[in-house]
Amino acid sequence: MSAPVDKLRELETIETDIANAVQSSGYALQELAKEKPVMKQVETHTTSFMKTLVEVERKLTKHINYLTQVSTGQPHEGSSYAAQKDLTLAYHRIDHITSSLNDLGRLSAEPGQQVSRQQISKSDLLQMSD
Amino acid sequence: MSQSRVLPQSKEALLKSYNKKLKDDIKSMLDNFTEIIKLARGEEDSQVSKITQTEEDQYEMQVRSANIVRAGESLMKLVSDLKQFLILNDFPSVNESINKNTAMFKQLQNECDTKLLALRDEMAVELFELEDEYYSSIYK
Repeated sequence: MSAPVDKLRELETIETDIANAVQSSGYALQELAKEKPVMKQVETHTTSFMKTLVEVERKLTKHINYLTQVSTGQPHEGSSYAAQKDLTLAYHRIDHITSSLNDLGRLSAEPGQQVSRQQISKSDLLQMSD
Repeated sequence: MSQSRVLPQSKEALLKSYNKKLKDDIKSMLDNFTEIIKLARGEEDSQVSKITQTEEDQYEMQVRSANIVRAGESLMKLVSDLKQFLILNDFPSVNESINKNTAMFKQLQNECDTKLLALRDEMAVELFELEDEYYSSIYK
């Protein structure tokens, strides 16, 4: 089964093809409008226009047939919210630990100052070991 | 039960309308292009004067060109509608996308938790030494 993005990319290619088809028809008529048109150019552009149109029709018909087979009447109710929430909570855990470690780093990086009992208290050590 | 049958019918009707619109637009582009090429032939016999005929042909060519562009734009709108329909109703693709995202989120979460557990183990070793130092010092 092709990835979901591939189908959307195919549709974007079809949009480009439609624009190219209209452009080819414009070039063909522009060449024909000249005083001395080069018939080979006209034929080339016309052939390109017809081929592109046939290709566009084929691809769009294929997409419509595929959608006829897979579409149902029900809305899709799946989501990845649960996993996303778990990941957000994991990031919160990391932020919390980072801030605790930053505090610890700041405390231990104060040289020459007498560390008072209030700063590194027994409860701090017990909390960190938990 | 009747309501669940109504919805698929409207989806089916919508897809049929897409098919019809596609065929009509392609036919319109081809027919109008062919007619412009035929007009470019410039037939000599006509009941009106040459200038009038030329004006009429020019006007017809302009209208047919506008029709070709309109059909092209209508096809672009059709492609846009198909993209929307695909995103909303292509269940296999939506399921695959959801599963992929869920697996990615779970993997990232497992990596975060594994790293945090490794960090906890290292901290536990360091704290053991710190506690040892603290409790054997004069500051306890």
